[in-house]
Amino acid sequence: MNPTPESSDSVLLQVRDLKKYFPVRGGWFRGVQQQLKAVDGISFALHSGRTLGLVGESGCGKSTLGRALLNLHPPTAGDVLLDGLPLAGLSRQALFARRRDMQIIFQDPFASLSPRRTVAQIVREPLDVHRLGTQRERRRRVEELLGVVGLRSNALNRYPHEFSGGQRQRIGIARALALKPRFIVADEPVSALDVSVQSQVLNLIGKLQAELGIAFLFISHDLAVIRHISDEVAVMYLGKFVEHAPAEKIFAAPKHPYTKALLSSIPVPDPANKSPRMVLEGDVPSPMNPPAGCPFHPRCPIATERCRIEVPALRESQTDSEHVVGCYLAT
Amino acid sequence: MAAGTNKPLLSVRDLVVEFETDQGVLRAVDGVSFDIHAGETLGLVGESGCGKTVTGLSILGLVPSPPGRIVSGRILLEGSDLAGMDEVGLRKIRGSKVSMIFQEPMTALNPVFRIGNQMRDVLQRHQGLTRLQAHSAAIEILAKVGIPEPAVRVEDYPHQLSGGMRQRVMIAMALSCGPKLLVADEPTTALDVTTQAQVLEQIVRLQQEFGMAMLLVTHDLGVVAETCRHAVVMYCGRIVESSSIDELFARPRHPYTTGLLASIPRATEERGDELPVIPGMVPDLLHLPRGCAFADRCPKAHERCRQSVPHLDLLQSTRTSVACYEPNA
Amino acid sequence: MSARADTVGAHGDSLWSKAFRKFRHDRVGMWSLAVVLAYAIVALGVVLGVWATDWAEVSGPKWSPASVEYWFGTNIIGQDIFARSLYSTRTAFEVGLLVALGATALGALLGAIAGFFSGTWIDELIIWVMGVLDSVPFILLVAAIAYTLQGSPWAMHIAMISTFWIGTARLIRGEVIKLKSLEYVEAAQAIGVNRLMIIFRHILPNTFHILLVQATLSFVAAIKSEVILSFLGLGVKDGMSWGLMISESTFEVLAGFFNNFLAASVLMFGLVMAFNMFSDALQDALDPRTVK
Repeated sequence: MNPTPESSDSVLLQVRDLKKYFPVRGGWFRGVQQQLKAVDGISFALHSGRTLGLVGESGCGKSTLGRALLNLHPPTAGDVLLDGLPLAGLSRQALFARRRDMQIIFQDPFASLSPRRTVAQIVREPLDVHRLGTQRERRRRVEELLGVVGLRSNALNRYPHEFSGGQRQRIGIARALALKPRFIVADEPVSALDVSVQSQVLNLIGKLQAELGIAFLFISHDLAVIRHISDEVAVMYLGKFVEHAPAEKIFAAPKHPYTKALLSSIPVPDPANKSPRMVLEGDVPSPMNPPAGCPFHPRCPIATERCRIEVPALRESQTDSEHVVGCYLAT
Repeated sequence: MAAGTNKPLLSVRDLVVEFETDQGVLRAVDGVSFDIHAGETLGLVGESGCGKTVTGLSILGLVPSPPGRIVSGRILLEGSDLAGMDEVGLRKIRGSKVSMIFQEPMTALNPVFRIGNQMRDVLQRHQGLTRLQAHSAAIEILAKVGIPEPAVRVEDYPHQLSGGMRQRVMIAMALSCGPKLLVADEPTTALDVTTQAQVLEQIVRLQQEFGMAMLLVTHDLGVVAETCRHAVVMYCGRIVESSSIDELFARPRHPYTTGLLASIPRATEERGDELPVIPGMVPDLLHLPRGCAFADRCPKAHERCRQSVPHLDLLQSTRTSVACYEPNA
Repeated sequence: MSARADTVGAHGDSLWSKAFRKFRHDRVGMWSLAVVLAYAIVALGVVLGVWATDWAEVSGPKWSPASVEYWFGTNIIGQDIFARSLYSTRTAFEVGLLVALGATALGALLGAIAGFFSGTWIDELIIWVMGVLDSVPFILLVAAIAYTLQGSPWAMHIAMISTFWIGTARLIRGEVIKLKSLEYVEAAQAIGVNRLMIIFRHILPNTFHILLVQATLSFVAAIKSEVILSFLGLGVKDGMSWGLMISESTFEVLAGFFNNFLAASVLMFGLVMAFNMFSDALQDALDPRTVK
C-alpha cells in the first residue's frame, strides 16, 4: 500500500502504524487525564533519493511525525525501519550509530543555531561527536561543506547572528550534511524566509538531493513549495494521512475533500487565472478532543451519516493503485 | 495612480522615516508616495525590511518613537496632515477614521480582558454609545465578521479563541467605528491556508459592504493578486514599481518585480528542476549603495545604476510607474 | 542554485558586544563600576601586604580622634581604625567573591539539571531540596552549620552558599526549560550529542547573562549578611570585618565614641550601594528589550 512506483531502488525508510501520543496531565494529582494523539497510525515507505512532501495545517502532527521518525520524540507505538532494521528498542549506542544516516533541518533559522558557537564549531560538531577523521580532515570537511551550501570560508569563525536568515539556513543544512546522511527530515525549511531567498534555499535542497541521492521528508504548509520539491505528497489532518499519491496526481486530481479545499485555498499569484474557491467552514478541531468518525467530517461539505460514525481507513483509489485516500466518498 | 478625477482619500507624499540605532541612522522609508481612493484596495508588497510595515504604521502615527521618527513628508487623510499631528489628534483619528489590523492578533488583544470588554471600550470612546448599546453593537459586528454564536463569544477571553477567530475579532474591533481606511499588516500571514482563505474572503466582503479603503501590507504576492486592484512594490525603503495588478503580474517592469515573480514556486506548475533566483541578498539598510539599491543583484545594471538613484517615473502610455533606468518593455 | 556564494553581512551584534556598548554609555553604571574597582584595589593591596599590615597592632592611645597619624582615630584598645577598615574591605571581597562564585556555580548546575530533566524525579528532588532549605530561617541555618562544623571559619561561607544558590537555580531552571525546546538543542540531539554535553555546551553558555547578574546580587547579599552574622558572633572567626567592627563598637557608641561604627558602616554602605547600581546597570545593558 504505497504510492511509490515500482523501482529497482530499495526501500530506505519503512514506517508501520506509527503513533505518538503525548500524555496531558491535569487534575488534582497531576495524573494523566488525556492522550494528545499527535501522530495516530501512520504508515508509508520512502525510497532512497526521493522526496515525500508532507502537507498539513498547524497542529496536524506533521512536525511530530518528523521528530518521531528520528526518535527525537520516541514513538508511542509502531515501527520505523531504516534499511529494514527497526529503530525501536535499539541500545543507546546502536541508536547513536544510526543517527549518522538520518538528520534534520529546522524551520527557524534563528533558533536552530546555538548563538554562542562559531559556524566552524557548529558544522564540525557532528564530526567531533562521531569521531570521523583526523582533526585536519574534519577541518577540511567543514570547509568543503560550506562550499557545498554556497557559503564562503570566511564564514568559518563568525557567529550565527552575523548572517541573514537564508545564510543561517545554509549553515543548518551544512550541519545536517556533515554526517553524509541518507535521509533528512526538512521541517518547514523555507517558511521563515523571504520569497527571493526561499527560492535559493529550495534550489539548494533540490541540488543536494539530485547530487547526493538523499531521501527527504519535506514538511511544509505551503502547497506551492511542496509541489515544486516533491516526488510524492501526503496530506495530513489531525494525526492521520488522509491522502497520499505521486505529486502530479494529487495536484491534478485530488480525491479527498480536505485536499481539494487546501488546493483551492492557495492564493494564486496570477490575477488572470482566478478560479472559484472552496472555502471550508470552521477551524481544525483540537487534537485533544478529535471528533468521532472521520476527523474531517465536521468541516466536510459532503459528509454522510457513515462519516460521523466510522473512521475511514486509507485505501487504494478505484482508478489508481498508486493513489491512496482515506475517504468513503472518494472514487 | 488610480483612475478617477476625484481627490484621493489618503495621499502619502515623499514620506521619510528614520530609526536611530546603535550603529547609526537607518532610513527605513525613503521618499514614498502613493494615493488611495475611497473604497479602493492598494497592495504594499515587499520582503522583510523593505519598509512596508513602517509605512503602514506611519499612517496611524504608530512608529515607535524613539527610536523612530517621521523626518519629512506628508500623510494627507481627507486633507489633514497626519504626519504633523500631535498624539491627541491622532488618537481621535485612530479607530474612527483609520484602523489597523496586525499579523499577530494575540499581541494586539489584551489577554486579561474579555473580548466584549475590549470592543465596548472602543465603541464607547469613539461613538459615544452607552454600555448597553455598545454591547449589542459589539455582538452585531462579531456576527458580521463571521463569528458563530457571537453573543456567547463576546464573553470569551482571547486565549479561548483559535488564531482565525482572534484575527476576526481584531477585524471586528477595527471595523467597529466604521473607519474610512483600514491598514492591514500581513493580516493572514500567521494563519493556516484554509483559515487564510476564510479571513481574506471576509475582509474583502466587509470592505465592499462598508465602502472602506484598504492598504494591504503583505509579502505574499498570491494574496495581493487575489485582493487588490493596485499594488506598490517596495525595496530597501523605496517604491520601485507601482502598477495595476493585471499589469504588474502580466508585465512586471522593474527587474526586482520580475525576479520576485519568477522565483515563487507555483502549485499549478509541474515539478521544476530549478527555480529562477535573484542572486545575492538584500543589502544592509545602514550601508546602502550610492545608486539603485537593487543594482548589485540586477542582471541589467550598468554604470549609471550604480551612480544615481532612478526616480519613480510614469512609463509612457501606461499607468505604471517604475524606478528603473532600464525597465522591461 | 546560484553558483555565487553569499557575502557575509553584519546583521546585528552579539548580546555581549551590544551590552558592552550600552554599559559604556551608562554614566551611573560606569561610575559605580569605578567605585567598585577602587574598593577592589584596596582589597588587593591588603592581600599583597601593601597596606593595613598593622591592623591588629595596638599602636596608640584608646579612642584617639581622627588625626594625621590615625586617619579614622583608634578604637577602645588603641588599634588604628583606618587600617582595620582597609583590612575589612579585603574580608568583604573574600566573602563576597567566594559566596558569589560558589552560589552561582551551584545554582547554575542544579538549576540546569532540574530544568533539563523537568517533570522527572530528578527535577522534583532538586525542587524539594530548594523548598526545604528555603524554609529554614537563615540565621538558624547558619547557627546549625556553625555548630556542626565546630567553629570552622568556613561555616558562614557554607551557610550562605547553601541558601543563596536557590534563587539562581530557580531562574536557571526556568530559562533551561525554555532553551531546551529550541531547535538547536534538538539539532544536537539529532547529531547524537549526549545529554551532559548538551547541558554544558549548548544550554548553560546561553544563560551566562543571568548568571552574571545573579553573581553580583549574591556578592552584595553576602557582604550584607556577613555584617549581620559577624555582629551576632556567627560570622568571621579570625581576622577583621566591618561586621566585627560594628560589633565591637557597641560599647563605644554607648560611651559616645562613633568612629569605629561610622567607618565600618559608611564603607560597607558605599560598596553595597555601588555594587547594587553596577548590578542594575548590568541588567539593563544585558536586557535586549531596553532600547538605548
